[in-house]
Amino acid sequence: MKKNFFEGIDLVLLLFTLAILTAGLLAIFSATYTSGTDYFSKQITFALFGILIMLVVSYIPPRIIARSSYYFYILALILLVLVLFFGKKISGSKSWFSLGGFGIQPSEFAKIATILALSNFLSGTDDGFRNVNKPVEFIKACAIVLLPVILIMRQPDMGTSLVFLSMILPVLFWVGLSPYVIFVIISPALVAFGAFLGMNYFMAALAIVALILLLFKRNIFLTAGILVMNFIIGFSVDTLYTKLQPYQQNRIKAVFDPATDPLGSGYNVIQSKVAIGSGGFTGKGFLQGTQTQLKFIPEQWTDFIYCMIGEEFGFIGSVVILILYMTIIFQLVNNSYLSKNRFLSVACIGFSSIIFFHLVINVGMTIGLMPVIGIPLPLMSYGISSLLSFMVMIGIGMSAYRYRNQY
Amino acid sequence: MEPEKRKFAIYGFCLIVFFGFVVRLAYLQLFSIEELTKESNKNSIKTITITPPRGLMYDRNGNILVDNKPSYTVTITPSQFDKNNLKEVSSMLDIEPEILMENIKSIKGTNKFNPAKIKRDVDFKVVSYIAENKERLSGVDYQIEAIRYYPNNFRAAHAFGYASEISPKQLEKQIGDYYKQGDVVGSSGLELNYENYLKGVKGYKFITVDVKGREIGGLNEGMSDIPPVNGSDLILSMDKDLQEYAEKLMKDKRGAIIAVDPRNGEILCFVSKPDFDISLFAGKLDPKVYTALVNDPEKPLFNRVTQTKYPPGSTWKMMMSLSAMAADIITPVSTIACGGSFTYGNRTFEDHGAYGNINVTRAIEVSANVFYYKLGLQLGIDNYNKYGKMFGFGAKTGIDIPNETPGLLPSREYLDKRYGENKWSQGLMVSLGIGQGELGVSPVQMVAYTASIAMNGLYCQPHFVSKIRNSANNTEESVKFEQRRIDMPQKYYDAVKKGMYLVVNGTGTAKAIKNSDFVLSGKTGTAQNSSGKNHSWFVGFAPFDDPKIAICVLGENAGWGATFAAPIAAALMVRYLGGSGYEVNGDLKTVSDVPD
Repeated sequence: MKKNFFEGIDLVLLLFTLAILTAGLLAIFSATYTSGTDYFSKQITFALFGILIMLVVSYIPPRIIARSSYYFYILALILLVLVLFFGKKISGSKSWFSLGGFGIQPSEFAKIATILALSNFLSGTDDGFRNVNKPVEFIKACAIVLLPVILIMRQPDMGTSLVFLSMILPVLFWVGLSPYVIFVIISPALVAFGAFLGMNYFMAALAIVALILLLFKRNIFLTAGILVMNFIIGFSVDTLYTKLQPYQQNRIKAVFDPATDPLGSGYNVIQSKVAIGSGGFTGKGFLQGTQTQLKFIPEQWTDFIYCMIGEEFGFIGSVVILILYMTIIFQLVNNSYLSKNRFLSVACIGFSSIIFFHLVINVGMTIGLMPVIGIPLPLMSYGISSLLSFMVMIGIGMSAYRYRNQY
Repeated sequence: MEPEKRKFAIYGFCLIVFFGFVVRLAYLQLFSIEELTKESNKNSIKTITITPPRGLMYDRNGNILVDNKPSYTVTITPSQFDKNNLKEVSSMLDIEPEILMENIKSIKGTNKFNPAKIKRDVDFKVVSYIAENKERLSGVDYQIEAIRYYPNNFRAAHAFGYASEISPKQLEKQIGDYYKQGDVVGSSGLELNYENYLKGVKGYKFITVDVKGREIGGLNEGMSDIPPVNGSDLILSMDKDLQEYAEKLMKDKRGAIIAVDPRNGEILCFVSKPDFDISLFAGKLDPKVYTALVNDPEKPLFNRVTQTKYPPGSTWKMMMSLSAMAADIITPVSTIACGGSFTYGNRTFEDHGAYGNINVTRAIEVSANVFYYKLGLQLGIDNYNKYGKMFGFGAKTGIDIPNETPGLLPSREYLDKRYGENKWSQGLMVSLGIGQGELGVSPVQMVAYTASIAMNGLYCQPHFVSKIRNSANNTEESVKFEQRRIDMPQKYYDAVKKGMYLVVNGTGTAKAIKNSDFVLSGKTGTAQNSSGKNHSWFVGFAPFDDPKIAICVLGENAGWGATFAAPIAAALMVRYLGGSGYEVNGDLKTVSDVPD
């Protein structure tokens, strides 16, 4: 088994990760050009460190990771409890440990630990994945994810809680959860959203849900029961909403329509749309973006880094960045498909769904398609905890490629 | 479902979202580019905070007491500030470059495109320099703001209090986020107590600015602007002329004066000397000046009307008389033998005269110590405390300025704690009987007590503000203050008041201030002071039959009550009632030393 040292390295993941890291560093350099180089030098140091970690992780055999996954998970839960007591409060939530000038976010570590624990649980039998179509197994799998979510909601950090929740369905779908069950879980959200928009949307959403349920051709009574449940949920959303105080209603409205709150959360979205839109086809050029350089968007090197790409590198740059991310996500899914190791197969789906969710929410927010939820753009946004956690995820993704033929 | 199918289902879902995003990007970047580029050149909305002028304060006759005047405040918009100009701006503002940079960095609030106040009350020279170099000094600007202005030639510093620039500590401690760096906040006196009325509500003006930070125009033609609401005005019960006269009489002296209308507790004048110039706090307060004030051995920041705790001396004798009558120890006509001294245990307590068998009225008139030594012993600590409380001692009066002391009214628990249970001698009661010893009162407590005697038991919470006027909707709001009745038979009050009448109009200790136009009454007092000259007290009211003013004067280390406090109190009462006062060549008539 004398192999070339580089054989077995997932070159697609490695090169595309390096490309995104480079783009991110350029963007941070530009965004912080007039406010000092602290951010840039810190981020580049940890990016280099992260590459090393990513490569090291990619060599760790899956058995070792799988065996330690429950310990990581318990450690993560302990850290999440501790941060509630000893964490540093930054803009209203206790999510950080302050260690010698660096902020460390245990929820980032918990992301990886939770996916690994879930993967270990789902791959835990000798003849294939656990059968999550059995209610007991389904509930156990959900509980693994919900435990850290409850703790993170106490911080409170809604964005990260949603990230955790976002991986449940893709992972369960991957291990064999029936599409019908997935649809039954998603449908109330669709109906509730419709109900929020108005009576007509509510009815339309209900009709679509009914149609799709019928297409599944299941027991007619079951289908009718689910439809009634949807109706009740949608109806109570409407009643609950009208019972709220006007200022509470406005807060919810602002999430979906930033124009109603141009000075608060809507401000950034309006500014970021203007910045991206003014980039045009080829952009204004590196360091030439007026919106970026004049800092019309506060702290855009964190959650609003994508609008700097949009302004300075235009439509071409924006689409290229999206393609880089899509390639990484596809490669992770493909690694998952190829991997004979069930543990890594599930883990890769978990990682890709988290990266996908981050991408959709973050980019969607800057281009005005998604509500304002403050979660970082993977590998690009300034922030050490998030950067390192994504690089570990990709490192494990690379190991799935290296050990794809090992059971 | 096959694994392969599942893989393609995921691919498919991702691709749909991906194309959705590409379409959205194309819409923004390719099809709305003209509109958004224009928007981008216009750049952004800048929010200008408009701080409304603080409410004013008027006296009872509509004269202005606390006014505003315009001043210039330099602002810096952090996002537009060019660091290359740091040196120039710091020398212009006379702030060290490092401190200026810290200030800019530490600006609270997330919006870095909004101007933050950096220095208040700058010279016009600075403003014109900024205006001339506006293009170059990007991000540096000025606002016109109202600062406090005091148009009268008296200070009333402790009453008005000061409104000064908010300190980092106050910013940190505030509830909510109304105040920003550079804002003015009431920090003492009425300015603090009525801050919520005086401050008004900030307004906001939205301005679109271009890439270079130049203003292009209002947003929505000013339709979105939020106008500020001016602060409400306070109508005080203070009498401007009386206040001015009172401060003149206390010039270069140490002590306190407070006068109220006994019928409702409205404060007519309020003096604590030495004091300080509050206009120093109106603009940018020089920290050196503040440190000097804090460390001044004369304690000019100390409010001697509400924060002193001195024994009341003989001014306490009305309190003792009423307590003893209410506790059925004496009647208005019963007599006590008063020799020249009183011995309790192995200690002899002196008096300044022997008066024979006298009743309570006579005892007040001549300020007979032996009479009250004996009453103190008979009354005992529990009744002493009980009746003291009824007249507001040992508790805050509720005057509408902050940091009042409750003083010290001894109780059994207090003495047990201080000396150990039952380890204190009844001899303490002898001194307490004449208002000496472990008893601490403030002038505001004393004036409320005197007023309640004048009004036969109507005790009114002393207060400055009678009405709050809202200029926005032109409404006036009366402020309610507490009044209560101290229930005692009228003949008790009559006996005590008769004594106070004779103090001035009979053979009493203050007969020198007898006035031919108005019937004054009162009581002198001298608080023994172990660490220096005695403190001089006088409490009184006038006219005797229909009281319109009650007053308390305290002179620190000023000797006998009759020497210092009584003439000042008399001059003020007469001036308020419309008389000519006691001035001789601009000074008060000197009064010979009369012990009380």
